[in-house]
Amino acid sequence: MKKLAVMITTPPYSNLSVTALDYIKSALNSDIELIGVFFYQDGVLHANANVQIASDEFQAIAHWQKLHQKYKLPLHLCITAAEKRGMSAEDEKSINTIFTVSGLGELVELTTKADRMVQF
Amino acid sequence: MPQTTLKTLAILNTKAPYSSTAGKDALDIALIFGSFEQPVALFFQGEGVRQLISGQDGSMINVKDYLKTFAAFEFYDIEEIYVCQTSLAQRGLVDDFHIDGVQVLNRQDFAQKLTAQQTILRF
Repeated sequence: MKKLAVMITTPPYSNLSVTALDYIKSALNSDIELIGVFFYQDGVLHANANVQIASDEFQAIAHWQKLHQKYKLPLHLCITAAEKRGMSAEDEKSINTIFTVSGLGELVELTTKADRMVQF
Repeated sequence: MPQTTLKTLAILNTKAPYSSTAGKDALDIALIFGSFEQPVALFFQGEGVRQLISGQDGSMINVKDYLKTFAAFEFYDIEEIYVCQTSLAQRGLVDDFHIDGVQVLNRQDFAQKLTAQQTILRF
């Protein structure tokens, strides 16, 4: 089974998040093993528990939650990028619980283990 | 690291140095891959070529001068640094870089080098 890793650098209010989630779902439905998603730059805002997107707009977090529950998909958060954007590992309420606090070392791990790393 | 053959990573820099943190975010990735002894090649294209031009000092405009850290590339065994000749020419820039070992490539060679890498991350 081919291994895929994804890096998200675009925020939850970007339409690229929709594309990323579509891509990930297609991969999971195509017998591709998604070994993890890494959130970097403005992508870390996906994990910010205080972000609220208007109810008639795309709710990226609901999709991440479903994927995490169904596939136990590892969602790695670059904590340095997250701290710059109002989250803190010490303040558990600031980070959505489906995300794992990580660092760039995890990105190295994912990139080297995966057959392909794709950035959105 | 669990793999047997090392994969090559390209970091494609496309943004000017001081208007966003893209260059610094890309640099952090380059250095972490370097410190894990993973092969990294740096590519500069479009506005990104400005990150290599000498005589800049971000601290004059209160921006952290992360370009200084480029001098550390050799300590991280980052030796492949490519810049797009066309992007330089379009901006009236000459090959006056603040680090050594930068290779100026024409568009075709640049594209060839870039697509030869197994992973490409773009900033």
